[in-house]
Amino acid sequence: MTVDNAHEDAALIVMGPPRWIEDPALRDTAGAEARLLSMDRQGRVTAFSGKVEYGQGIRSGFALAIADELDVPVASVRVVLGDTGMVPHDRGTTGSASTRTVGAQLRRAAATARRTLISLASERWAVDAERLTTGDSQVVDGEDPGRKISYSELLQGQALTVPIPEDAAIKTPEGFELMGRDAQSTDALSRVTGQAKYSRDFAVPGMLYGRVLYPPSHGASLRELDTARAKRVLGLVSLIQEDDFVGVIGEREDIVDYALDAIRARWDEVPDLPSDWDLPDFMKRSQGETVVLREEGSLAAGFNQAEHVLESTYVVPFVSTAPMEPGAAVASWDGDSLTVWCGDRSPFGVREGLALALGVSEEQVRVITTEVGGSFGTRNTPRLACDAARLSKAAGRPVRVASSRSEEFEQSTVRPAALIEIRSGVKADGTITAWEYMAYHAGGGAFRGQRGADTLYNTPNVRVAVAGTESPLNSGSYRSLGGAVNHFAREVHIDEIAATVGMDPVELRLANLSHPRLRHALAEAAKGFSWGSRGQGTSVGFGAAIGYDAGSYVAECVELAVEGPEVKVQRVVAAFDCGLVTDPDGARNQVEGSIMMGIGTALWEAVEFDGGRVLNATFSRYRVPRITDTPEIEVMLVGDPGTPSTGAGEPAIVPIAAAIDNAVYDATKTRIRELPIVPRLPQ
Amino acid sequence: MNLLVNGESYELAVDAERTLLGVLRHELELTGTKYGCGEGTCGACTVLVDGNAIRSCNTPVAAAAGREVTTIEGLADGDTLHPVQDAFIEHTAFQCGFCTPGFIMSSAALLSRIPDPDDGQIRSALSAHICRCGVYGRILRAVKTAAERSGRAEGEQR
Repeated sequence: MTVDNAHEDAALIVMGPPRWIEDPALRDTAGAEARLLSMDRQGRVTAFSGKVEYGQGIRSGFALAIADELDVPVASVRVVLGDTGMVPHDRGTTGSASTRTVGAQLRRAAATARRTLISLASERWAVDAERLTTGDSQVVDGEDPGRKISYSELLQGQALTVPIPEDAAIKTPEGFELMGRDAQSTDALSRVTGQAKYSRDFAVPGMLYGRVLYPPSHGASLRELDTARAKRVLGLVSLIQEDDFVGVIGEREDIVDYALDAIRARWDEVPDLPSDWDLPDFMKRSQGETVVLREEGSLAAGFNQAEHVLESTYVVPFVSTAPMEPGAAVASWDGDSLTVWCGDRSPFGVREGLALALGVSEEQVRVITTEVGGSFGTRNTPRLACDAARLSKAAGRPVRVASSRSEEFEQSTVRPAALIEIRSGVKADGTITAWEYMAYHAGGGAFRGQRGADTLYNTPNVRVAVAGTESPLNSGSYRSLGGAVNHFAREVHIDEIAATVGMDPVELRLANLSHPRLRHALAEAAKGFSWGSRGQGTSVGFGAAIGYDAGSYVAECVELAVEGPEVKVQRVVAAFDCGLVTDPDGARNQVEGSIMMGIGTALWEAVEFDGGRVLNATFSRYRVPRITDTPEIEVMLVGDPGTPSTGAGEPAIVPIAAAIDNAVYDATKTRIRELPIVPRLPQ
Repeated sequence: MNLLVNGESYELAVDAERTLLGVLRHELELTGTKYGCGEGTCGACTVLVDGNAIRSCNTPVAAAAGREVTTIEGLADGDTLHPVQDAFIEHTAFQCGFCTPGFIMSSAALLSRIPDPDDGQIRSALSAHICRCGVYGRILRAVKTAAERSGRAEGEQR
């Protein structure tokens, strides 16, 4: 087990709430005061955060920002993420919030450490702190540049604990030396040499292997079980059955795979669950509470002023997050204390779930986050951690439970399917006079469908409402959650309005849009794409869409070719505004990835299911984007550096499916309102 | 059976039907090679056998016996990274990194077969790999960079 020495050796500890909340009125949501950063007597820096790294690059981004604020080399900064024994309690890694809340607070912590080092030097030299500056891990006398002292020397014999002051002064962009430029990821070497340890790569001495029997469909319960054949598998250590919980423990991974396959079970499944073909009807039938997000003006008056009234329904299927790493967890008990290594994006949530499930206190549980092979919304339940902990308890030895690819598909939550009805009124000049939006999102109440449901177009007469429905599958989070789904419907509908009044889709958007950042993003994307340059090839289409998510704004233009039923996306230009960018290459990487993921949801991805059973739980039957599908992608970062950083991990997925759909319409003149897109060429 | 992995010879008493992936990860503790799908469709488990990129998740270990197996841990020459590894770093051709070893192994095999591949040849060689983070554009650029570098290095040697 990792021994936490960072605390004992610390010469300087900076304390503060884990998140920086700009608004003083909301500051009490920042979390409890905790150790955020420490320096040892060699001048090495350790930073602590409850966030986790699953590919979004925050470990590297945090290290870069801290090194910049403290004027130390990046190599001397260690960032500890997601170890509940070492880091402040945080709510999990979600909502593209890491850089804007935790990143900002770690910068303030680093600035506090820097100010403390300056005051130590000022006392030592008996000079005014104002004349002192820092550089290269040293405090330097601005009026006598020959006079320098290293951080390490200043910290000898010290044991200071300082809070972050309200007015902690972080650098402004003009003063950045590392932030705002392209930098090599601190995780690069371990990624390319195979040294990075993910949950299923993690082993502890004496460890056994486990698998758990999961129900074949959402909500099924176990009726009959036959384990006779499984028990005869050579190398099986034990077979555990406690009510519905059935698990096998063995000496090797392949042994427990065999044993699990040899178990025969009969299940009581929830009757009359819908299949993919009758889901839309089911959703409307099982509508839950409706939440009205906005209601202004008079829809009746708005429709009266309209020259045209458009009414369309959009259908979006369940899609899978399908991260490359099938989930795993290692559990090890020491008496009543439990340590779990897993790749979850909410380590404190896992700790809470473990404590609850196992009847121990949270203090007895330590959750250590390994490298995480992708999340995209999943990796947010304690299921695997609990399974490993139960099997480990039964075996009296550490146990690793690792999912198969099919289990990953079947047991992870899926993005809620949706049915969205839009009715709009528009004048002949393209002015939108009425906007009525009703979205049904499957599962989990109305909450999941709210993100991105409201419109930023000028709509004086408007009603936007969202309802949850029952769900045959376990629906949950996804990149931008319902954001990408709501944007698909809205941005396709806007294109339908443009076609109805015979206006250019970009012109029509600008004509109905006052929001300055969205207007700027759209204008930049259209310019970068050469929107006006469309040729007259019948199978080539241009499409545009805009969006907002996690505080950021984005516009995307797409060029594609339609060849029979195949859509080939050739070029995407994205203008992305997330305010100040501290790690531009990292931001571009996230935008590119969001676009690739969104291409999958636009063109191929759909969970096929029958009465709660997932039918396509393999990569050979669930088609995701591959390198052969990859268009030329140009990302323009168009935010104002004077605007605080907002989310970068999710927003770029929200417009892409609509932009593609709109381009398919441009190529074929046939409107498709259901994902994934199957284009129909004109007869 | 005898297995030659990353230049080391191992005498192993293992079932012939076990997968090469399982033996590499479990018996040799070489966990850089990943399980991603178990059916040879995602490429995360790619290793080199006699220089050819193969899927270790559906290859019986017996099929690799007596042949030269290279995993991601054995691709670098001591502390000198393979040009593909260098280029992946230079282009940050990864996010979560789980698929990265597989992509690197297939790219290395491609460059040993075709030192100067065009865009279509790179896409084709990597088409059986999945990167869910979607860094494909970066991988394309990285492989091109690696090809240019290796070409230059060979030119200098001549």
